[in-house]
Amino acid sequence: MVELREDLRYTEAHEWLKIQNNIAIIGITDHAQAELTDIVFVELPEIGKELKKGEELCVIESVKSVSEIYSPISGKVVDVNKKLDDSPEVVNESPYDDGWLVKLEIKDKSEIDSLLDVKLYKQILK
Amino acid sequence: MVLRSPLFNIQKNLGAKFTKFAGFEMPIQYSSIKDEHLTVRRSVGLFDVSHMSNVWITGKDAEKLISITTVEDASRIGDGLSQYTAILREDGTVIDDTIFMHLVEKYMIIPNAGMATPVTKWLNNKANEHNLDAKAEDVSRDFVILAIQGPKSRDTLQKLTDIDLNTVKFFGCQYIDIGGVHCIISHTGYTGELGFELQVTPPKEAEDLFYKILDAGKEFLIKPIGLGARDTLRLEKCFILAGNEFEGGRTPLEALLSWTINWDHDFIGKDVLLKQKEQGDYERLTCLECTDKGVPRHGCEIRNDEEKVGVVSSGTLSPCLNKGIAMGYVNPEFREVGNILEIVVRNKSVKAKVVKAPFVKKDWAQQY
Repeated sequence: MVELREDLRYTEAHEWLKIQNNIAIIGITDHAQAELTDIVFVELPEIGKELKKGEELCVIESVKSVSEIYSPISGKVVDVNKKLDDSPEVVNESPYDDGWLVKLEIKDKSEIDSLLDVKLYKQILK
Repeated sequence: MVLRSPLFNIQKNLGAKFTKFAGFEMPIQYSSIKDEHLTVRRSVGLFDVSHMSNVWITGKDAEKLISITTVEDASRIGDGLSQYTAILREDGTVIDDTIFMHLVEKYMIIPNAGMATPVTKWLNNKANEHNLDAKAEDVSRDFVILAIQGPKSRDTLQKLTDIDLNTVKFFGCQYIDIGGVHCIISHTGYTGELGFELQVTPPKEAEDLFYKILDAGKEFLIKPIGLGARDTLRLEKCFILAGNEFEGGRTPLEALLSWTINWDHDFIGKDVLLKQKEQGDYERLTCLECTDKGVPRHGCEIRNDEEKVGVVSSGTLSPCLNKGIAMGYVNPEFREVGNILEIVVRNKSVKAKVVKAPFVKKDWAQQY
């Protein structure tokens, strides 16, 4: 059974965002990690990098595949999950907590409004 | 048209995720590639490899046809033995690599997925050109091919047959009854572990057998294994994947298959190979182990001080070593063991060391 969290926002590309004031913590959903399985490498952006919505945020590699994760919103990278350098499998084990990817400083709050809530994301998974 | 294995529904019920490979929809994984990979290294796994082909070669000149069209002298391979070899074009490049099995009066070859038609046509053309009484017949759709691989593979299969499987020697092949099903067994595989392959006909017979093998292996925690782990298992042992390592036309000398060539007989492409061997100055498949983090993939450039010296034909993260590993064709002057090269992975340079094949040594599991 795929785990979902009520307090998160989602995208059709199976990312989640946790909004805390002007910071968005971004990760991939439980569904996404289960589809990828065996995450072996996460390439994270440089801190300070300015990203437009839709630009490449990071790259996640499983044994078999390479997946680009695109930034769901515009913003500046203020932190990355350095733990993933040595333990990329944490994304599989804890996609919503220890396996977060990037923290972005939100540039345009209106972009948050167009993200999916848990109900809509649930529809996509059906 | 996409072909499916006769075992497709069984695999679906077992939770397989599927992928398209060479015109077939086959299981890529069940639980996870890593988990399946380690299951085979440590215990035993069951693969359906029915995407591979089956071609009978019959007629009184069957042996001659094989000798002319492959780098092996088939007269050396007696009844009940099989051999890994390569079929070459006149220009010395590999059409396909295959195993042939000598079974009483005839031979079965196992071309790669999607290669049955071109290989059968090629062999029949050569039989005509050389006036041989030999015929190749594609019977791929009549067979299911199962591979049982891993240190516990023999113990698993032994429960299903009265024949002592210790008597089926490495690269031996014979008819056998396994789990009440009459099939061909060979002590062969693509994982570098103890293992067996079964050619089962008619395909319907394989349905029960698949479950029987899973049942027999229960005490060893057997798992069904997908093509994902099949690829990582073979790459750790530096076994060639035809579609990757022969891409663009490669000779067996370039593809590190010189050990398969029997120079004491005449075969198509031999003159070209002799010339290449004499010149010595050709790209060769090279094994690279990453010392930086990063996963090399097919097509990545290999560099020495910013200069391109080769290209990756196969790459992955090794589940046993937890490092990036790659095989690639490298300019001969840069492929000395211990040499440090760079592999370009998404515009980033990843350092990699030239190592001896295989990446994962024999009996790896015993150390862990």
